[in-house]
Amino acid sequence: MPNLTQNRKTDMKKYDIKTTDKETLKNWYHLMTLGRAIDEKAPAYLLQSLGWSYHAPYAGHDGIQLAVGQAFTKGEDFMFPYYRDMLTVLSAGLTAEELILNGISKATDPASGGRHMSNHFAKPEWHIENVSSATGNHDLHAVGVARAIKYYEKKGVAITSHGESAMSEGYVFEAINGASKEELPVIFVIQDNGYGISVPKKDQTANRKAVDNYSGIKNLRIMYCNGKDVFDSMNAMAEAREYAIANQKPVLMHANCVRIGSHSNSDKHTLYRDENELKYVKEADPLHKFRRMLLRYKRFTEEELQAIEAEVKKEVSAANKKALAAPDPDPKSIFDFVIPEPYKPEKYVAGTHNEEGEKKNLVTAINETLKAEFRHNPDTFLWGQDVANKDKGGVFNVSKGMQQEFGEKRIFNAPIAEDFIVGTANGMSRFDPKIRVVIEGAEFADYFWPAMEQFVECTHDYWRSNGQFSPNITLRLASGGYIGGGIYHSQNIEAALATLPGCRIVYPSFADDAAGLLRTSLRSEGLTVFLEPKALYNSVDAATVVPEDFEVPFGKARVRRPGKDLSLFTYGNTTLLSLSVAERLAKEDWDVEVIDLRSLVPLDKETIFESVKKTSKALIVHEDKVFAGLGGEIAAIIGSEMFQYLDAPVQRVGSTFTPVGFNPILEKAVLPNVDKIYEAAKKLLEF
Amino acid sequence: MKLLKNYLNFNNNKNTIYAMKKIGLFYGTTTTKTASIAKKIKEAFGSENVDLVSVEDAWKKDFESYDNIIVGVATWFDGELPNHWDEVRPELEALNLKGKKVAIFGLGDQVRYPENFVDGIGILAETFESVGAKIVGFTSIDGYNFEMSRAIRDHKFVGLAIDKENQSKLTNDRIKSWVEQLKKEFD
Repeated sequence: MPNLTQNRKTDMKKYDIKTTDKETLKNWYHLMTLGRAIDEKAPAYLLQSLGWSYHAPYAGHDGIQLAVGQAFTKGEDFMFPYYRDMLTVLSAGLTAEELILNGISKATDPASGGRHMSNHFAKPEWHIENVSSATGNHDLHAVGVARAIKYYEKKGVAITSHGESAMSEGYVFEAINGASKEELPVIFVIQDNGYGISVPKKDQTANRKAVDNYSGIKNLRIMYCNGKDVFDSMNAMAEAREYAIANQKPVLMHANCVRIGSHSNSDKHTLYRDENELKYVKEADPLHKFRRMLLRYKRFTEEELQAIEAEVKKEVSAANKKALAAPDPDPKSIFDFVIPEPYKPEKYVAGTHNEEGEKKNLVTAINETLKAEFRHNPDTFLWGQDVANKDKGGVFNVSKGMQQEFGEKRIFNAPIAEDFIVGTANGMSRFDPKIRVVIEGAEFADYFWPAMEQFVECTHDYWRSNGQFSPNITLRLASGGYIGGGIYHSQNIEAALATLPGCRIVYPSFADDAAGLLRTSLRSEGLTVFLEPKALYNSVDAATVVPEDFEVPFGKARVRRPGKDLSLFTYGNTTLLSLSVAERLAKEDWDVEVIDLRSLVPLDKETIFESVKKTSKALIVHEDKVFAGLGGEIAAIIGSEMFQYLDAPVQRVGSTFTPVGFNPILEKAVLPNVDKIYEAAKKLLEF
Repeated sequence: MKLLKNYLNFNNNKNTIYAMKKIGLFYGTTTTKTASIAKKIKEAFGSENVDLVSVEDAWKKDFESYDNIIVGVATWFDGELPNHWDEVRPELEALNLKGKKVAIFGLGDQVRYPENFVDGIGILAETFESVGAKIVGFTSIDGYNFEMSRAIRDHKFVGLAIDKENQSKLTNDRIKSWVEQLKKEFD
C-alpha cells in the first residue's frame, strides 16, 4: 500500500495552522460554519412540509469538501459534485440562498429549477455540473470534459466526487481506466465514510480502501488525505490540481471521512450503528477539530469565533427568507426543454430532392456526409469500437478514411465499454455547446445495452438542468437483421429507446435520407439516435442520388409511393420490402401508398393523418416485433385521433415475439418478408 | 557514570533505577484503553519514575522538560492519529528534541484493521525523529498477524504494539518485557 509520505511532497505544504493567513482561516471557518448551519437546518424544511424531502447530511466530510470547493477554479475547471456535496458547492461559490432554493425546489434553483431532486446542487453557468442520482456515474462525464480540456489545450481540471461505495459500479472503473489511458487532467475525489447507506464498506470490496484496487493502473496517481482535516485536505487538493495540470494525468484522491449522520433523511442509522460507533465518529467532527486548532494555536479568540458564528446565523436567516419568497415552478413549464430546437433545413424544407446523377449506396452516403460535416465544423469528434485502424473504418467501413483525414485526436477508437463511449460523449459536450460528437454507441445495436444508464442521463440532461445543458450527440447504431446474424446481430431497439423523452430517433431506409438526416443531426443540438439498417449498407436498391448538401428535417416522413387504397407506414429494412409488395399489388389493381417514416421520434403525424384521410386504411410494417414494437404506438395514435376516417382496424406486420434465430431457416420464420406483408396488405385492402 | 549504570543494571529486580532520568508518559487522558496501558507501564517502571502527562493539554515546555519520553497512541480509522495527538503535532514539529529518547506504545486491532495496524506508532515515530529525538523500544513483529503497518522498520515495530481486542492475554507480559528493555535503553 503506498505510504502517505511517499505519495505526498511534504515540502509542498502550502497550508498549516501556524502560517496560513488569518483572512484565509476566517473564510474557511465561515464557510464551514455556514455549511453546517444549513446542513442542520435542512430537516426542518421537511418537517414543515416546505420541501427538502431528500437531504444527505455531510457532517464529517467537512475537510475534503471545503478543499474541493477551494481548489475549484471558476472559468478553468469543471466540477461534478454528488448528492452529499453541500459544503463543496458552497466553498466553490454558491450562496446560502442558492442552496436553500435547491433544497426547496424553487423555480430559481440554479441547478434545475426544481426539476431534479433536492440536494443535487449545481450551477451549470459556472460549470458546477448537474449530476444524476445514480451514484458515481458522473465520473464518465468528468473524463469526457477532461478530454475536451486536453484537446483544446486549456488550463484546467475536471473534478468529480462521490463516496467509496460507488466505486463498486463498473462505470467507475471505465472512467478511471479511460482517464488513465488517455492521460487526462481529472481528479477523482473519493469521500470514504465507510458506508453505502447501511452497507459497511467491507461488503463492497476486499481492500479496506477501495482506491487501492487501482494501484496497478498506469498513469494514475493515487493520493491519500484525511478528509476530516482541513489542512491535510487543502494541501492534498492543491497538490492534486497542480499535478494533474502539469502532468496531464489523472489523480485518484482518497479522503477519509466519517458520516456523523445517516445516509439521508430516509435512513435511520441508529438501526445499524451503536452508541460507541456514533460517539467515535462524533469525536472526529472536522468542524470541532478545526475550531479547537484555531484556539489552541491562538489564531483566533473565542470571541472572534463566536462573532463569525453569530454572523452565520443572520446570514442563514436572511437566505431562508429570500428563498421561501422565491417563485415555485409553473406546472405548465413541464414541456419546456424536453429536447432542444433542432436545425431546420432551409434549402430542402421537406427533405426531398429531384436531383439526378450517379447513385451512391448507404455506406458511401454516410461516410461522405460524415466527412463533409467534419470539414464544415472543426469541433466535431467521432469515436466508437473498431472505427479507426489503418484501412479499416468500422465493422462496415462507415468511418473509413476519417482518421487519416481528420487525425487521431478527432477520430479514435474507444475501449470495449459502451457506457464509457456514451458517458464521455455527454461529458465532452459540456465543454462547449458548439461541439458535436458522433459515437458508434456499440459495434452493433445489440451490444448497446450496457450504455443504457448513460443513455438515460443523456435523454434528460436538458430537461433536468432546466435547459442549461444539452448533450449534443449523434449516436449511430448498426441495426436490424436479414444478414444471418442471429440474436446478437439482428436487434432493433428503437421501441425500447423511444420510451425515454429527450432523444430523437431516426431510421433511414435510403442513402439520401441517411445523408440528409445525418447532416441535420450533426447541425442540431440535442441527442439523436441514428439507426442504420446494416442489411442495406451495400444494397443497390437502397442506393440513391445524394445531393451534396442534402438535408432532411426531423419529424418529416416521405411518401415513397403515392396511392389511394391503403396507407402503408414503414421504416428501415421493411421499406424496400413494402415497396416491392406495393408493385406486386399494383398488378392486381391495388394502389398502395408507401410512406417511409424516416423519423420515429419526432413522428410526422401530419403526413400520417393526411394519408389515412385519403385511404381510410392503415397498415404499419416494421422489422421489430409486433408486440411492444413502435407500430403499436402509431396504431393507437391513428385509432384515437383518426377513428372517424377508418374503414378497417389498423393492422401491423412485424417479427414474431421471439428472438431472431441464427439458422437462416429460423431467421426467415421470425422476420417479416414480402409474403407476410403482402398477405396483411391484401387482407386489409379486401376488408 | 556509565560503569555505575552497567553495575546497577545487573540488579534488574530493583524497582528504583538510580541513574535513569524521569520519564514523561504522554497519552490522551480521555481515552480508556490507552489510559489503562499507560497506568500499567507506570506501575511496571515504579510510579515515582514516571509522570503521566495529558497530551490534550501538553505544550512545548512539557515535551522539553523530559529526556526520556514515552508516548501512547491508538490508531483511529484507516491509519490516523487520534485528535489529541494530531492536534499537537504542529507544535511538536516546531520543537527541538535533540538528545531526547522517545519510546512509543500503541493500540491496534489486527483483525478488524489489518491494513493499518498500529500505524499511529509509525506516524509518531516519524514526527519525533524529524525534530531530533531518538526512537527506542523497538520490538519484534513475531507473534502478531496483520497485513501492513506504518510502524515497521527492518522487521521490527518502532515501539510496542498492544492488541486488547485479540491478544489481551499477552498484554501484561508484553508490557513487562518492554519496560525491562526500556530500562536499558533510556538515559
